[in-house]
Amino acid sequence: MSDKIYRVNMKDLSYKIEEVPEEWMGLGGRGLTSTIVAAEVDPECHPLGPNNKMVFAPGLLSGTIAANSGRNSLGAKSPLTGGIKESNVGGTSAGIFAKLGVKALIIEDIPEDDSTFYHLHVTKEHVTIEACPELVGKENFEVLDAMLERYDKKVAVMTIGTPGEQRMLISNISVKDPKGKLRSHGRGGMGAVMGSKKIKVITVDAEKYKETHLADPEKFKAANKIFTKALQDNPISGEGLPAFGTNVLVNIINEAGGLPSLNFRSGNSENAEEICGEHMAENIKERGGSTTHGCHAGCVIQCSQTYNDEEGNYLASGFEYEMIWAFGANFGINDLDLIAKIDNLMDDIGVDAIETGVTFGVAAEGGLLEFGDGETVYKILSEDVPNGTPVGRIIGSGAGNVGKLYGLVRVPVVKNQSIPAYEPRAIKGQGITYATTPMGADHTAGYAVATNILNSGGYIDPLKKEGQVALSRNLQIASAAIDSTGMCIFVAFPALDDPACLPALIDMINARFGINLTADDVTSLGARILKTEHEFNLKAGLTAADDRIPEFMKYEALPPHNAIWDFTNEEIDAFWDF
Amino acid sequence: MKITMNAFSFARNRLKELGIPCVNVEREIDEGMSAQDLIDSLGLEEKYVEAVFVNGTVLPKNTVLHEGDRVALLPPGTPGSYRLILGIKKAGETS
Repeated sequence: MSDKIYRVNMKDLSYKIEEVPEEWMGLGGRGLTSTIVAAEVDPECHPLGPNNKMVFAPGLLSGTIAANSGRNSLGAKSPLTGGIKESNVGGTSAGIFAKLGVKALIIEDIPEDDSTFYHLHVTKEHVTIEACPELVGKENFEVLDAMLERYDKKVAVMTIGTPGEQRMLISNISVKDPKGKLRSHGRGGMGAVMGSKKIKVITVDAEKYKETHLADPEKFKAANKIFTKALQDNPISGEGLPAFGTNVLVNIINEAGGLPSLNFRSGNSENAEEICGEHMAENIKERGGSTTHGCHAGCVIQCSQTYNDEEGNYLASGFEYEMIWAFGANFGINDLDLIAKIDNLMDDIGVDAIETGVTFGVAAEGGLLEFGDGETVYKILSEDVPNGTPVGRIIGSGAGNVGKLYGLVRVPVVKNQSIPAYEPRAIKGQGITYATTPMGADHTAGYAVATNILNSGGYIDPLKKEGQVALSRNLQIASAAIDSTGMCIFVAFPALDDPACLPALIDMINARFGINLTADDVTSLGARILKTEHEFNLKAGLTAADDRIPEFMKYEALPPHNAIWDFTNEEIDAFWDF
Repeated sequence: MKITMNAFSFARNRLKELGIPCVNVEREIDEGMSAQDLIDSLGLEEKYVEAVFVNGTVLPKNTVLHEGDRVALLPPGTPGSYRLILGIKKAGETS
């Protein structure tokens, strides 16, 4: 039986299960969510009003045995950026959607009666929509426990905490992972969109699903073998990430002078040694945690980890570089354990690590609290944000809005979304990605490496402008394509060394669907997705003037390299010449 | 002459095994030594260093060091596109 589109209407609490239109057949993940959002959502709609839609879609390879294929995409118009958003996540939802035959779940409109929240349960034949007053006001772990008590323990769970209920712009959507912890559709205020539709939790049946159909199982198996070997043999995906996690980047980016510190005042942090991946790995070894943890089934990279306190009690998992940077370097907390405690709290209430961390940096600049005061951060996130006090609402509104409230100039956002852990002045290729991606400042928009990038050759000096626009364009096109496969973007790392890696990935897509895509087709797909997203943003009222790095970076020289952002508007706008 | 030395991830672990301090330490080296000479003098095996940072810039291992330089040894395993956009891959190939 072929895959279907599941369409839920929250106004009349109804659903339909539809055939997949021909033009959506070859799409998955980000390619599908962005296509549907562009086709069905009025770009001028209010993101929290009835005309926005949420679109969940597993990747093309999700649900198969392909290594690292468990990423699920969510698309909508973002209340944070005012543009299109695709945010993808590990966890178990992609595989379960795909095995159930859900090509996409589209959620439309908002209920007339907004006095309660609803629980959506998706099965093969039905979508049950029921009020869940007992879950209102609960945070994610409690909601997760309630779902695991009610359903098979493999059930997929997507939930919002109280910040999402209150439609805060820092809120995210949390997704159960294979170990019963949480991963997030983190960026762009997607929790607020779910809150606006009065949906507290979505569950997807994992009991009655079938295996995904493969057009050519033998070819698929052979390609997956090559692909898995490429991942496991590579020093990045096979050794570096499992040993130190993504947090191995603290010392590297700090040494490069690109670790934004104390609200983007410096590219070096005094806290680097306290918060670095090497220190984290030592603590994990001493305290009995684990340096490896996969965010989804079938992950062979295992970049995540379980981090315990000095007594060996669980503190956090999925303790990533961006989180540790945001609170350690950028906000200035020099205590890794306290950052882990805040990380777990943020998983529970459901807020984006990057947006929230950068917001606290801006708030410290404005004088709401002191840089490095982690105890006050914990108090605000555990009391003010859940209770929606004025301070909670201020923090919940994101870095751009806090900057405006406090009359600040040093506000590190693009399209109102916080700039992540790589300084655009010192790592200029990353800056071009922040400026131009339709997503607002997002490092993952230009993360995947493809063969054409290598063929272009040349030494890229991160402090110079030469070659950066073309590099960012190639990285973004590759990332958009990878985001459509359901693959973790880390799968592209081995492509730098192993020419067999990406062809094996394309072979798997071909064997899954019985088609004959070439590498050029995949590049074209990535380019088409970017263009579709860009056109949506233009129709939504964003212009080239929104493709800009904050002005203060043009005249505040960033230590230690004293780098400034020196691209002209014309140079940036040339990004879209493809 | 004196330099400040640092080592990251697997290189740090290996130097610790060898009993060599490697976290922001001052180290006396001979004039004219390259980063590769420094690596050899530490007894650090080839596989532990892909490229080096010298004063915050990624450079090949054959880069000659100078008085007061800040040097960091960088093993293979830099994630993301950062291996590319910081110039680590290129520097590794030209060492």
